[in-house]
Amino acid sequence: MTERITRDMTPSEILAKLREASGYYLCNNERDVSQSDFKSRLMPLTTVRVAPYREAVGFFSVEVSGGATVHVDLLRKQVNPFDRLRIARKAMPKTLLQTVCRGASLFGYRHYPENVIRLTVRQFAKYVDVWRVYDFLNHIPNMIPVFEEVQKAGKLLMPSICFATGEEHTDAYYVRKVKEILAVTGPEVIISIKNYAGLGTPKRLSRLVKAIRSACPDVILHYHGCNTDGNDIGRMTAAVLTGVKICDVADHGYGAVYGQAPALTLIQTLEDYGRQAVGLDMDALIQSSNLLRQELKIYEPFESPFRGHDPTVAQYKLTGGAVGSAFEQADQGGFLERMPEILQEMAKVLVELGNWWSVTPGSQIIWTTAVNNILYGRYERPSLDLKNLLLGRYGPLPFYEPENWIFEKVLEYQRTDGKKWHRILYDEGGLIKPADAHLNQERQRLQAQLDRPISDEDLVLYLLFPFDALAFFKFVARYGKTWLLPPEIWFRRGGFKTGERLSFADERGVPHSIEIISTRREGASHLTTLLVDQYYQTINVKV
Amino acid sequence: MVSSPQKFNKILVANRGEIAVRIMRSAQELGLKVVSVYEETDKDAYHIMRADEAVCLGPGPCRDYLNIARIIEAAQETGAQAIHPGYGFLSENPDFPEACANAGLVFIGPPPEVIRNLGSKVVARQMALETGLPVIPATPRLPADMEGEQQALSFAARYGYPLMIKAVSGGGGRGIRQVFDEKGLLAGLKQSRAEAMLSFGNDEIYLEKCISCPRHVEVQILADTHGNVVHLGTRNCSIQRRHQKLLEIAPAGLEPEVNSAICQTAVRLAREAGYLNAGTVEFLVGPEGEFYFLEVNTRIQVEHTVTEVVTGLDLVREQLCIAQGKPISFSQNQVVERGYAIQVRINAEDPKNNFLGSPGVVQVYRSSGGPGVRLDGAIYQGYEVSRHYDSLLVKLTVYGFTWEETVQRLGRALKGFLIIGVKTTIPYFQQIVNDPDFKQMNFDTSYIDTHPQLLDYREEEREVDKIARLIAEINAHGRNPYA
Repeated sequence: MTERITRDMTPSEILAKLREASGYYLCNNERDVSQSDFKSRLMPLTTVRVAPYREAVGFFSVEVSGGATVHVDLLRKQVNPFDRLRIARKAMPKTLLQTVCRGASLFGYRHYPENVIRLTVRQFAKYVDVWRVYDFLNHIPNMIPVFEEVQKAGKLLMPSICFATGEEHTDAYYVRKVKEILAVTGPEVIISIKNYAGLGTPKRLSRLVKAIRSACPDVILHYHGCNTDGNDIGRMTAAVLTGVKICDVADHGYGAVYGQAPALTLIQTLEDYGRQAVGLDMDALIQSSNLLRQELKIYEPFESPFRGHDPTVAQYKLTGGAVGSAFEQADQGGFLERMPEILQEMAKVLVELGNWWSVTPGSQIIWTTAVNNILYGRYERPSLDLKNLLLGRYGPLPFYEPENWIFEKVLEYQRTDGKKWHRILYDEGGLIKPADAHLNQERQRLQAQLDRPISDEDLVLYLLFPFDALAFFKFVARYGKTWLLPPEIWFRRGGFKTGERLSFADERGVPHSIEIISTRREGASHLTTLLVDQYYQTINVKV
Repeated sequence: MVSSPQKFNKILVANRGEIAVRIMRSAQELGLKVVSVYEETDKDAYHIMRADEAVCLGPGPCRDYLNIARIIEAAQETGAQAIHPGYGFLSENPDFPEACANAGLVFIGPPPEVIRNLGSKVVARQMALETGLPVIPATPRLPADMEGEQQALSFAARYGYPLMIKAVSGGGGRGIRQVFDEKGLLAGLKQSRAEAMLSFGNDEIYLEKCISCPRHVEVQILADTHGNVVHLGTRNCSIQRRHQKLLEIAPAGLEPEVNSAICQTAVRLAREAGYLNAGTVEFLVGPEGEFYFLEVNTRIQVEHTVTEVVTGLDLVREQLCIAQGKPISFSQNQVVERGYAIQVRINAEDPKNNFLGSPGVVQVYRSSGGPGVRLDGAIYQGYEVSRHYDSLLVKLTVYGFTWEETVQRLGRALKGFLIIGVKTTIPYFQQIVNDPDFKQMNFDTSYIDTHPQLLDYREEEREVDKIARLIAEINAHGRNPYA
């Protein structure tokens, strides 16, 4: 346990410890497992329930924030993303907390103004110790403001190279990207290989790691992969054997399908090669999973309609974090039966558009384009995001440009000025940095809407997701911090039985109970009488 | 005809709400039976449940509580021999004690002619002048014509602005208007006269010099049929909103010599007026301790509790005994004021919405308690606060040995309440408790106007109550609509 990395260490001390370690470390990527396997529905109290075991395991870090979680917290769970971090911090005081940030898109789907990026990172950096940062086009300048703010905040920076397969995806390309990053950040970082869709064979990963380590011998490498094809254990094993120091893993009792592969399987495999996971308490690791298995029934409704691994991801290359929600959208859109066709189309579109990395926000562009192509004809209904991509708004495409006919279809779609695509590209193309936001004006606007003082954290959430954050703040004003409820109550279906008693503790640890005394209907009014702590209340809901 | 003191063993309380309950408590301690009255629209009121018997006066709302004949009839039906009027309603209507006397009932209060004389501000003022009391310079009744305007203008020329226009029959803060210049004066005379007619059925008004930033101080007196008149010290009622008291303190915190002088003055007036039973003499006290007679309230006051707390005496018990012809049960030199008491009126009102009444069902009611806390209320969980009646839910009176302790106790006691279903004045009082001027006992009648920041608060709702709202939503929809 002496090798354990804890939160009281500085980034330099952590990096020194990693460099001298003979074994490897594990990051529990709770966030990505939730996103990939349960549509980001993991509630904070599940984190709290498993936290004592996770804290005892001795992970390098636990990723509890970032990606789609920030948005889904506001949208579907009514959880303040900062509360989520505070809760996790309190529950796991020693463990480093990790996030994943989409570069200039932060935790959203479009590039934000630089002052918004910097303010957001400053606010989240109060709680997040490790920052995994990527750009879906591997365009390093898109990540620089985030890099700078993370380093200013004294937090550990983990710049990522998005990895995929194809003839353009050479070792030389990725080594060049690593060098580009190090030139900006300096050597005191961890470079992450972001194998977002779980692509490539173990052999391919082994070659890539060797190439990077050969070009940059002092660099510390982290591997983040998805297990969509069921072979991430193989890739991680190869990566660790060739020099990766940290791998993202899941609990075997929770997910481990489209998200990360299970920690225990990796540990057992690497043991055979004489490689030890540093400072890990195996009993606690197993207990974590035992507890999470009990929680699974709460989250089952959010699993993908198609269960099990999908090795065909090697063709459509969709990020693990989007697989489940893609199937859900197809199900809700009534075209689930056309998914095989859509997945084939995704593979085709990806190649046509430049074979870059189908990870957020690029994955949404590929998905939407493929679906629209199938439903309405090829490139007949291009999205605004696809148009922006072709205009270079997200940055230059890394390998090659789409064919002219695609430019024509996309850029001339719904144009009323008669301009041709090459003229549009000439006049309007390029990476245009969004103008800085008027932070004071935005603060005043939000303050006026909520009629209360606004914190910097509130402002950040509003700047990231104006409509959803506002709705969330109004929800909290009316219903309070409902994440205090057990998750099984939050996701309850079918109402409550008379006499059912719900128990929970508030943030101060004070226990509360709400007992269902009676339910009755009067026309459109649904009257529920509750015993709230010791007091009866009848609440009228119009249905 | 004046009702004579006589023994009685059953009384009728001609009032409702907390004061009816307050009177019943003392009466029942003395072994008296109590009859309550109510209007049909008030049939769920708590005072009815506390009484030994109850009589419905009529359909209501409010008009039956003012029906003298019906109340006398109720007393006669139930065999009550005496009537306590409480405050408000008929308590200061001289026709009521007169009717009681005619019916052979004891009126627990002053005789009708005393109420009549002291109830008229002009007569009371004249009486004060004749008794040598310092009075605020004022005009006599102003004629309702050009001459009245001329008199007003010459008064203004002599004493300067601002001036107060007052209704002769006014009370409870109604019928008072401050004017700052000639234009305002001339317009105000017309408006005040119209308002006075509307409110009191009497359009007589007069003009008074305005004492700037005074403290509103009152002296509690008791007088019996044996010629005893005592005072029970002072109260400071300066914290008022539009001339209606919000918070009262005992003692008033005057310099000892001013305190003594003001109390002696009040006793002198009571003697001169032939006063009987409990009453209050009100004064304005200027910044240098100069004081002016204001008016007499010929009834038990809402704020009598603070006097009871610091003196340890039961004013209603004394009222009942005096009405039975007994002497006051203590002498002046036995009256000792110890420590401080503060009373706040917890009303079903929204301070942020101009203290507008907040009718509704009291879904949850948890009262405060603990050392130094007294509650006088008449609500319960499930009680519906009606727009027809007074919005007073409960009076909270706290006691402390020092001012600092009393203020801290008030803050703590306010936090102890949990009232759900109606908006209340509690958060506003919590603001006052935390105000530096209040903590230093630095306030006068301008306090509310000069401290608008007291309204800058956010109402705090318990997290569990908000969450209960979601549980009801999940129950109603069969799923969580926000998940």
